[in-house]
Amino acid sequence: MKTITYSAMLLALSTTAHAESFKWAGTTDPQTMDPHAVNSAPVLGFLNNVYEGLVRRGKDMAVEPALATSWEPIGDGEGWRFHLREGVTFHDGASFTADDVIFSYERASSEPADVKGWFAPISEVKKVDDYTVDFMTSAPNPIFPDSIANWMIMDADWTASVGADLPNKDAGNAATLQANGTGAYMLKDRQPGLQTTLVAYDGWWGDDIGNVTEATFTPIQNPATAVAALLSGDVDMINPVPIQDAARLEGSAEVEVIKGIEARVIMLGFAQGADVLKYGADAGKPNPFLDVKVREAVAKAINVPAILRTIMRGNAEEASQLVSPAMRGYSTAHSERPAFDVDGAKALLAEAGYADGFSFGLKCPNDRYLNDEAVCQAVTAMLAQVGITAELDAMPVRNYWPELREDNFDMYLLGWSPGTFDHEHPVRFLASTPNAEKKLGSWNFGDYSNARIDELLPMIQSEIDDTKRQAMIDETTAIYQSEHAYVPLYIQPLVWGTRSNIDLTQRPDNFFILRWASVN
Amino acid sequence: MTDISQNKPQSRIAAFWDSDLAYAFRHSPIAMVSFLTVFLLVFSALCAPLIAPFNPYDPASLDLMNGFTPPMTSNDFTGAEFMLGTDDQGRDVLSTILYGMRISLFVGFSAVMFAMILGISLGLIAGYIGGWTETIIMRIADVQLTFPSILVAMLIFGIAKGVTPIEYRDQMAIWVLIIAIGLSDWVQFARVVRGATLVEKNREYVLAAQLIGRSSPVIMLRHILPNVLSPVLVIATISLALAIIAEATLSFLGVGAPPTQPSLGTLIRIGQGFLFSGEWWILFFPSCTLLALALSVNLLGDWLRDALNPKLR
Repeated sequence: MKTITYSAMLLALSTTAHAESFKWAGTTDPQTMDPHAVNSAPVLGFLNNVYEGLVRRGKDMAVEPALATSWEPIGDGEGWRFHLREGVTFHDGASFTADDVIFSYERASSEPADVKGWFAPISEVKKVDDYTVDFMTSAPNPIFPDSIANWMIMDADWTASVGADLPNKDAGNAATLQANGTGAYMLKDRQPGLQTTLVAYDGWWGDDIGNVTEATFTPIQNPATAVAALLSGDVDMINPVPIQDAARLEGSAEVEVIKGIEARVIMLGFAQGADVLKYGADAGKPNPFLDVKVREAVAKAINVPAILRTIMRGNAEEASQLVSPAMRGYSTAHSERPAFDVDGAKALLAEAGYADGFSFGLKCPNDRYLNDEAVCQAVTAMLAQVGITAELDAMPVRNYWPELREDNFDMYLLGWSPGTFDHEHPVRFLASTPNAEKKLGSWNFGDYSNARIDELLPMIQSEIDDTKRQAMIDETTAIYQSEHAYVPLYIQPLVWGTRSNIDLTQRPDNFFILRWASVN
Repeated sequence: MTDISQNKPQSRIAAFWDSDLAYAFRHSPIAMVSFLTVFLLVFSALCAPLIAPFNPYDPASLDLMNGFTPPMTSNDFTGAEFMLGTDDQGRDVLSTILYGMRISLFVGFSAVMFAMILGISLGLIAGYIGGWTETIIMRIADVQLTFPSILVAMLIFGIAKGVTPIEYRDQMAIWVLIIAIGLSDWVQFARVVRGATLVEKNREYVLAAQLIGRSSPVIMLRHILPNVLSPVLVIATISLALAIIAEATLSFLGVGAPPTQPSLGTLIRIGQGFLFSGEWWILFFPSCTLLALALSVNLLGDWLRDALNPKLR
């Protein structure tokens, strides 16, 4: 008996000898552990370590096989057939089959799911056998496999047994705090807002995994605290590094700064479906943002170069459209953003009948994007210079999305990183008329609507010829630019900080993939 | 010189000048320096709209290109110069401090007044009436003393924030702050006043007042209160310093003054974000102001306690 205990201990010791623990910190705590409840990068990025999709993105963002080993179009663009990986087990030991894919499709495309927009092109999903699934599309959809890299597969039985059949983004359910995926890491402990612990999953099917066996994520909102934690070695990695501290950290031998340009465009959105203003001294009066001249005036009033120079310290680039130049479908013909022009903005306001200005409410997150609150304060000051008064209300992101969904804003700040790395993505989510049935415009909080864009979107989605597709995207871009549907400001920089003994890969969508990290 | 003061009837100011308190003041350099500091800070805070070079609450006056200008140097892009530099939004640090100090002082004074009125009333009632009333009041005070006052203030602030509608939160924040700090601070006053009342209520003048049939509230307010006030004055001064620090702490933690009305604590919180990046002035000057204000008020309180203590005279 004793020898058995000893050998068991030895075994335990020998496995822990290679065990490396890793701690990282970020400003935003993932709001939920439910992969279908909230379509936002902090949630999806974190859960990519726990759950997996049929396909996933590699270090270069290219789509590669994950739970599906291969896929091919059906017939003449009627849909896509996915061949599933065999022998995959969920963290609780249940095996992965086509039923889980069907279940996850139904769950993720259900009404309460935040990610239902991904399945707008799908007409039907059919189980061919236990390891083959057909996704039928209403029109040819060449980019469908590319568009579902963040669609994560849940176990049908487990989800039913814990009573989380449907996602619930506000009230939450069992899947908000627990997880049972197929990914390389298992959720060991979840304390919302405090810390979340992951441990390596021994039964994972893949072998592309670093030496981290236990990893802890801690949200740290205060930038100076996060930097101090990194410098003192309390955490091994922080994302993001406060932009003002990057230079100092670069000078330290113990830490490294990894910089890149994120795919995320930061923009201002307007309430375009509301008849009256909701906040400020003019609450209840007719909504000036319905007038395109007022929206154009806002675009001209904002001194983006000043924001980049002062708040972003030269680490970001101006944005002219809803995507960055690195994305597929970027419209080079429309790469100019309205120049900073105080007099022009004032003239436009006067033309629109607001020579004396007006007062309204600006909503802003304060822990979501780099220096988001500072940017909103600067926007407030710049708008004041053309005579319009913004009442700024900055709040943590967990309160922010519900406020936006309730339409509690006159103007708001939004960042958008296209999950598919394609211009079609923001057009579908931000520029299409919101339509719950067609799963379109689900993040178009301001209810911008243009009939021609709604007409162009399905054509863009099904067009295979790149030149024709680009021409349609160019037309869409021209429309939303001339109507100033949004005011794109800049492309957010990506700045991570690590201890120098850590190896990791920074993905341009700001996802931190834990299995690519190693402790030396 | 002496004969002049003896011959003429003394004015009130002259009488005060000759009093023990004024004598002690004239002979304490610390008291004079701290009084001067407090006076200067309060004066400049009151006159902030007149002496501040900019109005930090007017967003139209800000130019983002002025951001992060170091003190006494001209900005690379705009050429503008600021005595104490600018913050990330191009706000003049000096003006922001002057305006921020108004908030800090207003909250501090009001909170102490609130705590004083509440504490004195409860202390008088407990001491004079006694019995169950006293037991209940003093036990509540004892229980509250076991919690750090900043925690109590945070609790009150949190509850108030939860029940106020979101549109009024910013307007209410200052008043909530005053009530929160005031409620966390009344115990000191109540204890001291109760102790002094217990002594005073058995004196002959109180018995005499009772005999001629004066009502209890009149006796408490007209007869006992004036005789228990001098220790209250000392506590009030020291409480003022503590209230200013409590307000700064709450604002630093982000639960106090709203960002649109920055107090000293809010300014320090903003500055803290730039601590590592070398923009020291955003943090340094507001902190120095807070230090100078709290320290001199505290020293003044200490001196007052000594000056009013007959044993140390």
